[in-house]
Amino acid sequence: MTVDRVAGVALGALALFVLVESRKLPLGTLHNPGPAYMPVVLALTMLGFAAALVAFGGRAPHVATVGWRDWRHTAAILGAGAFAALALERLGFRLTVALLLLVLVGVVERRHPLTAVAYAVAMALGTFFLFNTILRVPLPRGPFGL
Amino acid sequence: MLETFANLAHGFAVALSPGVLLYAFLGCLVGTLVGVLPGVGPLAGISLLLPATFGLDATRAIVMLAGIYYGAMYGGSTTSILMRIPGEAASVMTCIDGYAMARKGRAGAALAIAAVGSYIAGTASVVALMFLAPPLAHFALRFGPPEYFALLVLGLLVLAYMSTGSMLRALAMAVLGLLLGMVGIDQMSGFFRFAYGVVELGDGIGVVPVAVGLFGLSEIMLTAGAAVPQEVIKPRLRELLPSRREWREAWWPIWRGTWLGFLIGIIPGSAHIISSFVSYAVERKLSRHPEEFGKGAVAGVAGPESANNSATSGAFVPMLALGVPSGPIPAVMLAAMMVHGVSPGPLLIRQQPDLFWGFIASMYVGNVVLLILNLPLVGLFVNVLRIPYPLLYPAILTFSIIGVYAVNNSVVDVWIMLATGLLGYVLRKLDFETAPIVLGLVLAPMLELSLRQSLAMSDGHYAIFVTRPISAVLLGAALVLVLLGLRPLISRGLDWRARLALAEKGEPS
Amino acid sequence: MMRVRVFVAVLAALLAPAALAAAQEPYPSRPITIVVPFPPGGVADLHARPLAAALEKVLKNPVAVLNKAGAAGAVGMQHVATSRPDGYTLLLALSSISIIPEADKLFGRQPAYTVDQFEPLALLSADPTILVVRSELPWKTAREFIEDARKRPGEIAFSSSGIYGTLHMAMELLSHAAGIKLRHLPTTGAGPAINALLGGHVHAMASGPAAVIAHIEAGKLRPLASWGDRRHPALPDVPTFRELGYPEAEFYIWAGVFAPRGLPPAVRARLDEALRQAVAEPEFRQAMEKLKTPIAFKQGEEFRKFFEADARRLAEGVRRVGRIEEKKEDKR
Repeated sequence: MTVDRVAGVALGALALFVLVESRKLPLGTLHNPGPAYMPVVLALTMLGFAAALVAFGGRAPHVATVGWRDWRHTAAILGAGAFAALALERLGFRLTVALLLLVLVGVVERRHPLTAVAYAVAMALGTFFLFNTILRVPLPRGPFGL
Repeated sequence: MLETFANLAHGFAVALSPGVLLYAFLGCLVGTLVGVLPGVGPLAGISLLLPATFGLDATRAIVMLAGIYYGAMYGGSTTSILMRIPGEAASVMTCIDGYAMARKGRAGAALAIAAVGSYIAGTASVVALMFLAPPLAHFALRFGPPEYFALLVLGLLVLAYMSTGSMLRALAMAVLGLLLGMVGIDQMSGFFRFAYGVVELGDGIGVVPVAVGLFGLSEIMLTAGAAVPQEVIKPRLRELLPSRREWREAWWPIWRGTWLGFLIGIIPGSAHIISSFVSYAVERKLSRHPEEFGKGAVAGVAGPESANNSATSGAFVPMLALGVPSGPIPAVMLAAMMVHGVSPGPLLIRQQPDLFWGFIASMYVGNVVLLILNLPLVGLFVNVLRIPYPLLYPAILTFSIIGVYAVNNSVVDVWIMLATGLLGYVLRKLDFETAPIVLGLVLAPMLELSLRQSLAMSDGHYAIFVTRPISAVLLGAALVLVLLGLRPLISRGLDWRARLALAEKGEPS
Repeated sequence: MMRVRVFVAVLAALLAPAALAAAQEPYPSRPITIVVPFPPGGVADLHARPLAAALEKVLKNPVAVLNKAGAAGAVGMQHVATSRPDGYTLLLALSSISIIPEADKLFGRQPAYTVDQFEPLALLSADPTILVVRSELPWKTAREFIEDARKRPGEIAFSSSGIYGTLHMAMELLSHAAGIKLRHLPTTGAGPAINALLGGHVHAMASGPAAVIAHIEAGKLRPLASWGDRRHPALPDVPTFRELGYPEAEFYIWAGVFAPRGLPPAVRARLDEALRQAVAEPEFRQAMEKLKTPIAFKQGEEFRKFFEADARRLAEGVRRVGRIEEKKEDKR
C-alpha cells in the first residue's frame, strides 16, 4: 500500500465518478463537442494516469511512513475554519472572528486565557475597522449589529 | 519619437503635480496593503475601491486605481514569500521557491529580488507600452478563439517543465486541476455541470480560494501541527539584502520574465496568470542547476515575479490603445473611465492626452514609489516571522478567510478554501505537487471554451487551426516542444545497448 | 428549574417592548443594501452606485451597494429573492432577470429563483441594443444585411455575451422576426464579445450603445439598426427595426430596481416616493449623462406592464432557441 497506489485508487475513483455523472449531459460529436465531451476525455485520461500510478507505484514510500500523528491538530484547525464559514453570515463578522481566535489561541494552542481573549478581541475589532471602515468592504453584520 | 518624449514630458508634468502624485502614492499604499492580504488580488482590490474614486477627477481616479493594481502585485509577493500564501493567483509560483528561500534564511533576499525585479519589469514594460501601444494592440486583437486555443495548448505543455519530481505525479495533478475546472455553467450550451444546485458554483471553482487553500491553508496545517516547531532561520540585518551571487542569478531571469510577461499580457483574456507559470518553466529549462528549483532557486522567484508585473502593463495596451477590455481588470478601469465621462476608444490617446500620458508617467512614478515603499519594509516584514508560529497562524488563517470571503462576498468560497486546504495537506503528505492543480484549474475552462468557440466559428472544421497563420505557428511550436521533450526518451532507448555494455563490464551506468 | 422559567419570563418581558418597537419602527431605520448581482464596474453596478448615493440623500439614511456576482447574475438574484421583504434589501437587475429562470426551466433544473418572487419597483434606464458590423464589411444598411443573411443561412457570425444572454436574445428576436439564420459565437461577457467583433472573428453583434459609440465615432464599427421603439438620441441616423418593418425585434438592456415580494404597503409607498425623488436628483442625472445612458423612469403599473411584456418576449425567445445540443444532434 504505497503512496502512489493510494493516490491512484483515489484518482481512479474520482474519474469513474465523473464518467458516471457525465452521462447526464449530451456528449456531442468530435466536430461539435457537447458539454460532456471534455469532462469525459479528461476522466479517461485520469483513469489512464491512475492505472499507471497503481501499476508503477511499487517503488514509492509506504503509506505508513507518512507521519499522520498531527491529525488532531489539523482537524482542529479545519474545524475552526468550518465554524467560521458557518457562522460568518449568521453571527456577523466580529463575533465570528473573535470566537474563531478564542478557540484557536485559547483551546487549540492552549495559551493563557487572558492572552487569548485580548488577541481575539483586538483582531476582531481591528480587522473590522480596517476593512469595513477604512477599505469600505461590506462585512456581514450579525443579530446584534455585530 | 521626439513627439513621444515631448508628450511624456507633459505626462510627467501631470503625474508629478502634487494632487496626482498624492493619489498615486495612496493607490500604491492601499494596493500593497490589499495585496499583502491572502487571496485579495488586484482585481478584488480595484473592484472594492472603485467606488471610493467616484468623487475624483478622471486622471486622479485612474492613477489611483493603477497604483492599487501595481501595489497589489507587489504586495502579493510578500505573503507568498513569507508565509507561502499566494497574495493572488498569479503569485502561486513565487510561493514555491520564494518560501523555500525564506526557510533558508534568505527571506530578505527573496523579497528584495522580487521588489527589484518587479520594478525593472514594471518600468521596462511601461516603456514598451509607450512606444508600441497602437501596433501591438492591433496584433493583440487578431487573437481569436483559435489563436487562444493554440496558445493555451502551449501553456499546457509548460506543465511538463514545472514538475520538480515525478512526471507522472505532476501530470496526474494537472489532470485533477483540469477536471476541477469543468465545474460550472458550460458557456457554449448553458448546461450546469457538476454544480449540484449550488448556484455559486455557476462560474466554476474560483482559482483564488483554491490557491489560498492549496498553498496557504495546507502550509498552516502542516506547520502548526508539526511535533517539533519548525526552525525558521532569523536573518541578521546584514543578511537581508541579496548577495552578489544572488543578484547575478536573478539578472537574466528578470529580463526574460519581463519580455515574456509583457507579450502574454497583451493578449486579451485571462492569460496573465499563466505568465508566471510560463516564466517558471522557461527558467527551469534554461537553468544550469534545475534541481535547485523547488528548494530556493533565485531564478524561480525573479522570473515569475517580473513576468507578473510586466503582464499588468501588457494588459493595458489594448485598453489604452483601442478602448478594448483585455481582461477583468482593464474592464474595471474602463468602467472607471466611463463613470468619469471619458470615452475609452481608439481615439483616447488623441482625445485625452492628459489622461493617457499622465497615466503612463504615473506608472513610472508608481513603480518608483513601490520600490521605495517595499525595500525598507522588507526588514519589517521579515520581523513578522519572529512571532511564534502558534500565535501567528491564527492571524494568517483569519486574514485568509477574510480575503477569500471579500472577493465575492461568498461563504461558498470559504468552503472551497477549506476543502482544498485539506486536499493540499493530504497531497503534500503524500509528496504530490500542488502547483499543477492550479494551472489546470485556470487553463481548463479557457481551453475548452476556445476550442468549442473555434469550432463554432468554423462550423465544425478543425482546419481553422492551421489555416489561420498565428494559430498555425503556435501549434507548430507546441509540436516542436513535444518532439524535443520526447527526444531524451528516444535517445535513452537507443542507449540501452551502450548501458548494457557498461553493465557487463561491471561499471554502474 | 423554576428559577430558569422566571429568568426566561423576565427576559421576554424586557425584550418584548424592544421587539414591538422594532416592528413599528419608521422605515428606514437601518442601512439599506442594494444588491448588484454582477461584478463591480458593469452596467448594473454603474447604475446602482449613483442611485445609492441619491437615495441616501433623499432618505437621509445610509444606502450601500453589495456586489454578489456569479452565474450571470443568478447568485445575487437568488439572494434577494430569498431575503426578508422588509425594504432593507433591494435588487438592481438587468433584463436578464427574466431570462435566467426560463433557461433553468429549459434544462429541467430547479430554477434559482422565479420572477414571481420579486416586486418590480422602478425602471431606471432602457437602452436599446444596436446592431453593429465591422466597417470593412459591405453591408451599409440593415436591409442589405438581412437580405444577405437570407441568401446564406448560418454563415454570417455574431458574438454575444453568453448563451441565453441579453445580447444573444436580442439577435434571436431579430432572427425570428426577419426569418434569418445566423451563426452564434458565445463569449464570456460583453467585453470579450466586442473584442471578437473588433478583431474580425465575427461579422456582427448586438451591443449596448454606450460600449460601442466610441468605436463608431472612430470609424471601426458601423451601426445598422436599433432594437428600440424610437431612434437613440446619440445615433439619430440609425433606423429602428420597427421602422424597417420588424416590430417584434424590440429589445432593451434595461436596469430596474426590484424588491422581494411582500413589502408592507407603508414601506412600498415610502420607497416609491424616494425612488422618484432620487431619480430627479441632479447628481444622479449627471452620472447617467456621463455614462451616455438616457434615464427612462417608469414606476408602478407602467413598469409592471413593461416588465411583463419584456419577460414574455424573452421567454418565447428562450423557448425558441431551445437546447442547442439537441438541435445540433438532430442535424447530424
